Amino acid sequence: MGRISSSYLINRATTLVLTVLIAATLIWIIPRLSGLDPASVAVGRMAAGGGSVANADEILAQLRSSFGLDQPLVVQYLLYIRNTLTFDFGLSTASFPTPVASMIANALPWTIGLMLISLIITFIIGNLLGALMVWENTPRIWKAAIPAAMVFTSIPPILSGLLLMYVFSTQLRWFPLSGPYGLNVEPGWTVDFISSVLYHGFLPAMSIVVVTFGFWALGMRGLMITVQGEDYTTLAKAKGLRPRYILYRYMIRNAILPQITAFALKIGMLVAGQVLVERIFAYPGMGKLLYDAILTQDYPVIQGVSFVIILMTAVAVFLVDLVYPLIDPRIRHGG
Amino acid sequence: MTILDFKDVSIDFPTSKGVVHAVTGVSLSVGKGRRVGFIGESGSGKTTTALAAMRMLAAPGFVSAGAIHLNSLDQPNVLDLSDEAMRQIRLSKVSYIPQGAMNSLNPVMRIEHQIWDGIVAHEGPADQAALQTRSNAALEGVGLDPQIVGPLYPHELSGGMKQRVCIAIGVCLNPDLIIADEPTSALDVITQRHVMQTLRDVQAKIGAGLILIGHDMGLMAHSVDEIAVLKKGELVEFGPVRQIIENPQHPYTKELISSVPLVGGESFLDPAPAVPATGTVSEDGTPLLELRGVSKTYGTVTALHPMSFTLDGAVPKIISIVGQSGSGKSTMGSLMLGFNPPSQGEVLFKGLDINRQSADDSLAFRKEVQAVFQDPYACFNPFYRVNHALKFPFERFGLSRGADHSQAAMEEACRAVGLAPETVLGRYPHQLSGGQRQRLIVARALMLSPKILIADEPVSMVDASLRATILKNIHDLKDRHGISILYITHDLATAYHVSDYVMVLYKGHVVEAGPPADVIGAPLHPYTQLLISSIPWPDLDRDWGSAAAARAALDELAALEGRHETILRGEIAGFTLSQG
Amino acid sequence: MTDQHADAAAPETAAPDTAGLTRAQIRRMKRFDNPWRNPKLIWGLALLLSIIALGLLGRIFWDTDMVFTGAGMPRQGPVGVENLRGQVGTWTHPLGTDVTGKDILALLIVGAPNSLYVGMLASLIGMSIGIFLGFSAGFIGGRTDDVIRVGSDVMITIPPLLILVVFQAAYGDISLTIMAILIACFVWQSPTRLIRAQVLSMRESGYVQMARLSGASTGHIMFREMLPNLVPYLFGSFIANVTTSIVTAVGLEVLGLGPQRVPTLGRVIYDAINSGALIQNLWWWWGIPTLLLAVMFVGLLLVNLGLDDVSNPRLRRL
Repeated sequence: MGRISSSYLINRATTLVLTVLIAATLIWIIPRLSGLDPASVAVGRMAAGGGSVANADEILAQLRSSFGLDQPLVVQYLLYIRNTLTFDFGLSTASFPTPVASMIANALPWTIGLMLISLIITFIIGNLLGALMVWENTPRIWKAAIPAAMVFTSIPPILSGLLLMYVFSTQLRWFPLSGPYGLNVEPGWTVDFISSVLYHGFLPAMSIVVVTFGFWALGMRGLMITVQGEDYTTLAKAKGLRPRYILYRYMIRNAILPQITAFALKIGMLVAGQVLVERIFAYPGMGKLLYDAILTQDYPVIQGVSFVIILMTAVAVFLVDLVYPLIDPRIRHGG
Repeated sequence: MTILDFKDVSIDFPTSKGVVHAVTGVSLSVGKGRRVGFIGESGSGKTTTALAAMRMLAAPGFVSAGAIHLNSLDQPNVLDLSDEAMRQIRLSKVSYIPQGAMNSLNPVMRIEHQIWDGIVAHEGPADQAALQTRSNAALEGVGLDPQIVGPLYPHELSGGMKQRVCIAIGVCLNPDLIIADEPTSALDVITQRHVMQTLRDVQAKIGAGLILIGHDMGLMAHSVDEIAVLKKGELVEFGPVRQIIENPQHPYTKELISSVPLVGGESFLDPAPAVPATGTVSEDGTPLLELRGVSKTYGTVTALHPMSFTLDGAVPKIISIVGQSGSGKSTMGSLMLGFNPPSQGEVLFKGLDINRQSADDSLAFRKEVQAVFQDPYACFNPFYRVNHALKFPFERFGLSRGADHSQAAMEEACRAVGLAPETVLGRYPHQLSGGQRQRLIVARALMLSPKILIADEPVSMVDASLRATILKNIHDLKDRHGISILYITHDLATAYHVSDYVMVLYKGHVVEAGPPADVIGAPLHPYTQLLISSIPWPDLDRDWGSAAAARAALDELAALEGRHETILRGEIAGFTLSQG
Repeated sequence: MTDQHADAAAPETAAPDTAGLTRAQIRRMKRFDNPWRNPKLIWGLALLLSIIALGLLGRIFWDTDMVFTGAGMPRQGPVGVENLRGQVGTWTHPLGTDVTGKDILALLIVGAPNSLYVGMLASLIGMSIGIFLGFSAGFIGGRTDDVIRVGSDVMITIPPLLILVVFQAAYGDISLTIMAILIACFVWQSPTRLIRAQVLSMRESGYVQMARLSGASTGHIMFREMLPNLVPYLFGSFIANVTTSIVTAVGLEVLGLGPQRVPTLGRVIYDAINSGALIQNLWWWWGIPTLLLAVMFVGLLLVNLGLDDVSNPRLRRL
């Protein structure tokens, strides 16, 4: 009991490894399909975009060696895979010679922090509201209000970000316009700093939450309707259990299971949306890094950021898959 | 003294087509410790009436008139109680044992927790040891080992065990009344007897009243003291079980009783025509259908052990394949239809292996071997009118000489199975009843005039009153149209009446085979004997045994494991069976 | 009609534990009879059609050449709105102009249908791939099924936006159609999974077995027996994919990675953010395209909810 079967584990681990490999391969193949030398293309466009490039030759040489361009393609590919899997993405061309890995390391905590908070809030609020839409004891006013809140669902977070920013930052001035924390606080584990971070992170997180909770609420509504019709819900009522207990331990507890699977599948989309939100709020995470890299045609950074975000997504999916059998006893056997 | 009184109760369901009066003016009482059966077909209002006593009607139904008194309350009319007061009465005064044994327990909660939460909801928080003692006692009361079963999750239990857990939950607070809603409808007859006897025992022990909802007069006869017969929301007859069964007054009650086929009872079939239809004889004596050492395994599970038979088809026959779920009988059906290749051996039709034939032979085989399946609701594509299911194969097999001919053939086939063509043809499947649909499927088979028809549980999902009619239709296919039939069923009584030869399947083995009068009328194999003694009959003087006897019989069955002998009870011309 | 009303309003329905039936409830109940006539579906389609109408009628009644730089006075507000320089917007540019004098209305007329076009095309291609792979996996089974199943599991976790960013960064300018095709490479997974699951369950259904008994060919079973019953699901999946595709396309455009020469709504927003429209309070520049996109997404959502009601009758509640 309580054991995850090894076949299940192998299955999920295979998916993780395949996802990472395929993503890395796509990132490698795409520029090469154009048939040009990726290094000179990068420098050429860099020169075209940014005017003069002072140390162009040095950058070109560095790029050539990091791509292994004097080697056969297979070797180039294997070299690239090895480098990528060890998080060696080469040096940034825009802020040469900063290693891409260290730029990502600085940005990653902001993105993960924002992502965790917004994903968890949206998942909890969405599912709770979806469940309340179906529960027979929900006050009428709630049942009327929740569908109205759904209007925002499926609008991309970038649009909600713009609207929230306009209303709360530029018009009402309740929240700061951009940045991760106030200019007057020193980074560190102080109350001032942490509250400043939370204050600055509120709008970006909210702009994700307001447009994504509806997705969970709608899914939950459908599942709750199914669970409501199940015999075990009828028996729970016939057992004279308290309505609130039935809601949590019988209905939500069962309806949440497919939602968790959906969560794993949806993480990719949500992360992509967040990249754009970071860009709007000038939040110093992966999204901002990616956007700046696009502006400066910094190809190694684009590659590195894309890979790390995909890796993050795949790992998150894997973690959800690992947790799932612990909450659904039916999965534990056989797999 | 009565514990529950229905006083002139009416229940309405407002719908888009107006108000449906699901129950009208029902008055009856359940005495202390008495068992009352509510019997009727689907839509008769039997479940609705009983659930009204727990105030658990499905929305938008409501009690529009009358009163329901639970006499152990200070203020007896349950319809006047607050929601919270009603909640406290459920389980502690009135408990409910649901229909869907497979799905009635919370799949993510351990069994003992599902007993504890009911106790805590009524008696407040209690310490772990006290709860454990209570749940252990409840599980032991229904013959389950609490050490093993308690910590398990529902998916780890069999259907019969789950239903016994539901009984344990239902009696754990010693209620005044237990409402059991078709508690055995999803179970095999052998398990049904065990669960039913368990329910009777625990009910008698706590002295509660019991309302047993059902549609099977046989089961009622063995289980209750009084019977209430409901039809279209009205109570048509109510009285002691002996009076109802031996001297029914209402024609509907008589119909319910007579629709239960009895082993050895009167046949419901028409007498055979003077000149029986002839089958097909091949020149060189090749049998119509032959199984040679056929077996089927799925992974490590053997669904069907090697078996062989030949059916010559010269004189049309009905061969019954009888078994419970998991016996391999449906596997046999799909092997003979070529839906599934055998793991070993071969299935030959007119001497050709059906899994190795050319496209043309395959089409010819399809035309000559047809089927009727269990679920008449699933057999029609909801996207098309029902004509599609009849016309498509008729034209596909090249039998049609044009649209008019197809139409005429469909109408004729409908009439042959007793359907008025204008009321069914051109309709969508959801507009027809299950019985009408199943008869259309029989009409479809008739239009194609195959040599063999595989009928896989053709009546198990049809209301009892229509079963005899549909079996008559199928029997006519043999008598009047010369079609040999393989009748796959769990129901020994119908097999007894319609078949020429019976095979009893148990875990993939044929345990007993021969003419029905021998195999079913006087069984020799312990499994066949157990099956027959487990069938409930509307006969009050028959001993259906006790829970202990039912358990002993199950143990005996378990001891049979691994002994694979077939008891052959005689032969009939044109069909030969051999094991291996 | 009338007798049903009378019946529903009969005195026995006035019992205490029921909400008396209002006329609105009766109307809602009648909708059960035809699931396709539900208000969500109708409103959703109306919103989408209004965007298409904007594109079509706009081209007739408005000068779409004003999408180019310098078509009018820069930074003009919509009619009656005063900008920072105290100029009041006029009917020459009813929705105002951007920082280079492009007419916002003309941008919307040209840009909005472009977004729908990308969404529809990408979704259509994705659906076709999905139908093909879903049927193959469900019908052939075995190895093929394993490969398709794992493939779609893997691809569903990769955010399309990132791969497209990599692609665009390597290739530079792309056309609307190329963008649609690229997005299509990432929206086949959910239809594939959906169709595979449905085909697997339908394969065992009675009517498919009946069709096999009737000597039907595989093609007949797939296209005549199964496909018609998949229609509501396919529609639903199609609309969900249109949404995903537009979200991805707008995301690329807002990053400045969309087509450079064709006006798109995302591109307008990109220009607005880059030119500091938020700080200069040129709200019409980014706000109106955002609102139009919001209308488009709400329309798609409503259509999808309506289709949900069609394919899942249990969701149809009073």
